[in-house]
Amino acid sequence: MNLLKRYILPRLIQYFIVIFIGITIVFLAPRFIPLDPVISVINRITAYGAQYMDPEALEKLTETLKELYGLKGSIFEQYIKFWKRLFRGDFGPSLTIFPTPVISIIKNSLPWTAGLLIIAALLSWSIGNILGGLAGYFSNKKWAKVLSVIAMVIYPIPYYIMALILIILFAYVFPIFPIVGGYSIGINPSFSFIFSLIKHAFLPALALVIVGIGWWFLSMRSLTSTITSEDYVVYAETMGIPKNKVLFQYVMKNSMLPQITNLALQIGGIFSGSLVTEYVFSYPGIGQVLYMAINNGDFNLLMGIVTFSILGIATAALLIDLLYPLFDPRVRYR
Amino acid sequence: MKKLSLLVLFLLILSLLGSSVTLSQVLPTLPRSETLIVDALHGRLANPKDFNFWKPGVSVGNGTQQMLLDGLWYLDPQTGKTIYALAESDPVYSKDFTKMTVKLRKGIFWSDGKPFTADDVVFTVEYLKKHQGMNYSAQFAKWVSKVYKTDDYTVVFELTESAPFFHYIFTSIVYSTCYIMPKHIFEKVEDPLKFEFNPPVSLGAYVLKNYDPAGYWWLFERRADWKRTSVGQLYGMPRPKYVLFIYYGPDEKKVMAQTKHELDLIFDLTPEAWEVLRKSNPYSRVWYKDFPWAWMDDVRARVMAFNLEKFPYNIKDVRWALTLATDIVDVVTSGFDGIARTNPLFMAATASLMKEFYLPLEGWLKNFALEDGYMPWDSTVPYRIADYAKKKGYKVRGEPREIFGIGWWKYDPTQAEKLLTKNGFKKDARGKWLLPDGKPWRITITAPAGFEIHATRLAFAVADQWRKFGIDVNVETVEAGPFWSKWHLGDFEVGSYWSVPATDFYSFIQQYHSRFYKPTGEVASAGNQIRLKNKKLDELLDKLVALQPEDPKAKDLVVEIIKLFVEEKPLPIFIINLKFNAQDHYYWTKFPNADDPYQAPVWWWGQFKFILPHIRTTGRK
Repeated sequence: MNLLKRYILPRLIQYFIVIFIGITIVFLAPRFIPLDPVISVINRITAYGAQYMDPEALEKLTETLKELYGLKGSIFEQYIKFWKRLFRGDFGPSLTIFPTPVISIIKNSLPWTAGLLIIAALLSWSIGNILGGLAGYFSNKKWAKVLSVIAMVIYPIPYYIMALILIILFAYVFPIFPIVGGYSIGINPSFSFIFSLIKHAFLPALALVIVGIGWWFLSMRSLTSTITSEDYVVYAETMGIPKNKVLFQYVMKNSMLPQITNLALQIGGIFSGSLVTEYVFSYPGIGQVLYMAINNGDFNLLMGIVTFSILGIATAALLIDLLYPLFDPRVRYR
Repeated sequence: MKKLSLLVLFLLILSLLGSSVTLSQVLPTLPRSETLIVDALHGRLANPKDFNFWKPGVSVGNGTQQMLLDGLWYLDPQTGKTIYALAESDPVYSKDFTKMTVKLRKGIFWSDGKPFTADDVVFTVEYLKKHQGMNYSAQFAKWVSKVYKTDDYTVVFELTESAPFFHYIFTSIVYSTCYIMPKHIFEKVEDPLKFEFNPPVSLGAYVLKNYDPAGYWWLFERRADWKRTSVGQLYGMPRPKYVLFIYYGPDEKKVMAQTKHELDLIFDLTPEAWEVLRKSNPYSRVWYKDFPWAWMDDVRARVMAFNLEKFPYNIKDVRWALTLATDIVDVVTSGFDGIARTNPLFMAATASLMKEFYLPLEGWLKNFALEDGYMPWDSTVPYRIADYAKKKGYKVRGEPREIFGIGWWKYDPTQAEKLLTKNGFKKDARGKWLLPDGKPWRITITAPAGFEIHATRLAFAVADQWRKFGIDVNVETVEAGPFWSKWHLGDFEVGSYWSVPATDFYSFIQQYHSRFYKPTGEVASAGNQIRLKNKKLDELLDKLVALQPEDPKAKDLVVEIIKLFVEEKPLPIFIINLKFNAQDHYYWTKFPNADDPYQAPVWWWGQFKFILPHIRTTGRK
């Protein structure tokens, strides 16, 4: 009961406040930037010359669209309407792809992003932390130095460049992997389909993992190096405790704490997608949809995606807060 | 042993990924030699399964309008000719233009076997008119009082007032038109805004075979009964059995795909991307086989648009001074490596429109003089661009005037200086221009960031010219959303836009009537973003709107308007839009190009459907 009152409840209250403020900002921000979804539609119609529109008809269409988009009325009225809809799990229609519901657009794109980014994040986190931990603990070994140099070379390479290198190498020079889409055209769900899925996700995931490993490796190595020189580690080593035990139970375990927090936040942040990955590899996902929403002033779609993102990050932070006592006894006994 | 097992596992995974289990890169289950692969204009679509074109948020350039939809008339900008698709002839108007009768083509069927008749046309108009917010709803509500059939292939439109241009609503002049709806499908739909029309019933020569739920590709298959479509009746069998519209991503990916012969037609590339493609794939070409390669018959031209309400751009002499302070040959050569056709008039300088408007106006242009008697026309421009190209080692095949345009305005800083001085502008000790109130003259040019690359290039090239002339110029590049907001709100002093009509002159020019004028700060929803107000133009437009666009008297008025735009110079027009819409001749050939310009190479327009019977397979497997 005490734990609930002292530890869990304040965090839950904080969680809801963060979400409320975040969503309110998300509602207000697009309305104060110089974008107008109605202009965007009118522009699309006139820029392509898609319709014969006499100017009077264009003016009438502008008014009709404002009505349909729910953009008439004060910002406060729109805000109340927005919360009412949100409680029903409805973000309203996309204004660019009117009247497709925002939720169906998100449903269509989010699984691709989640699948790719979660797997890539977990892989790079695991590999980077294990290698970084080993390299930090055995920092005098030759292989540790080589790994450190490799990580230092990889880490600053801009992701876009890394992605292009992989595409040119493995999709063009050695055409093993495809350069577009989530799976091959015309393949029905089957064994081949699963392979096709893996094949299409392989390069985008590889690029994310390589760049991700660099960061996790360097941060873990640095944490491990610091902890290795702590008194309790030196004492354990002096006492003759086996090196493996010291490494995994004394050093790595303590180094992992900030890494777990970072991982949770990274996974929480996947809801905003990875625009560069999607753009370079032409891989489906939510990032491009978000970019389109920003560019076209699609308030509803923008709010839908960012709300998911806020919920994701806030929930990840809350979970980590709640789970921390399990990883760190110091929190448990505070 | 452990290491060996790991190695074997790694090799196994790699070989499986690269093996025939997942087959070739793009088309694992289709014969490549029977499939045409086309770049999807709109990129990835977030609602790829929605084929209800008549909804406002549905994009049709990724194959829907080219393969599945059909309209009454199409106007080809390359030849200037009308293609009679679902209508078998021109519309017939009553004398006062309040009634229009259309005869429809017989023997056309929807892909589900139902005949296409006048009922579909009547239904389309009535249904769209009834459902506010749907495309064309506003137009039909304004213009149509009654629509009915007199027999299965004759439709009569009774109009609310005289509208000699009404058939333009059903004519694909640029990109798209009001396509006809299948009555037998939509009559059962209560709320069309919620209806996705999936699977779509086709009036085109193809049907939708498959699409990517993630929004990257759409695959179409030729109908067995293609003869029962307008394309089949007019030009015969469309050659590819399958047409795939696909979005590969940024230019470098498209270049890779065409080099590997996995993308036959590209929408547009940057000049740099084309240069790489040209060198890596001998089967690729654009409009011209050699320099300047690009297709330069697009229906818009690049302008430096002034907000005419902002000082000093509200002064005609200032606008002319900035024009004469620009060396167009330098702009074209330094900004575009000589790959551009100059476009001095308020009419896109396409091949057919140059013949129709530019050449007849040449005498007038040569004699045209400013108020002080100065004659600004320069007909040497195309030859100087050609000389530049020759010096660079390019071969210029053909007449420079046909390729680079018939001329532009003189580069004459002295005359420009005279015009400015006359209006109280001065130069400071460093040779920098000061406004009449003595403050430094600073110009900000608004240009697109990350799209319409040629507009951005033009902005920088022109900025260089004006800087050389002594003005402090800044180029502000802006992302698409705010770029268009600024345009419509008039939140710019000079903007690099593309706002010049072509075959759509008649409809395009109406926006400049002062009754649609909106002051800066209000959305110019009807157009006229430059805030032009001109009594003479109003008079000409009032006369024009009372004539049928095809009437010879209308053409005379168009010429008068073009002359007025020269005299008033509301916006200097620089070059016609150019496109590196590359074609790969490895699997397919006989695409329209400068050697055989039978139609505009617009894969993204509805007109594309009429190209398909002309192309031929090369026989490569």
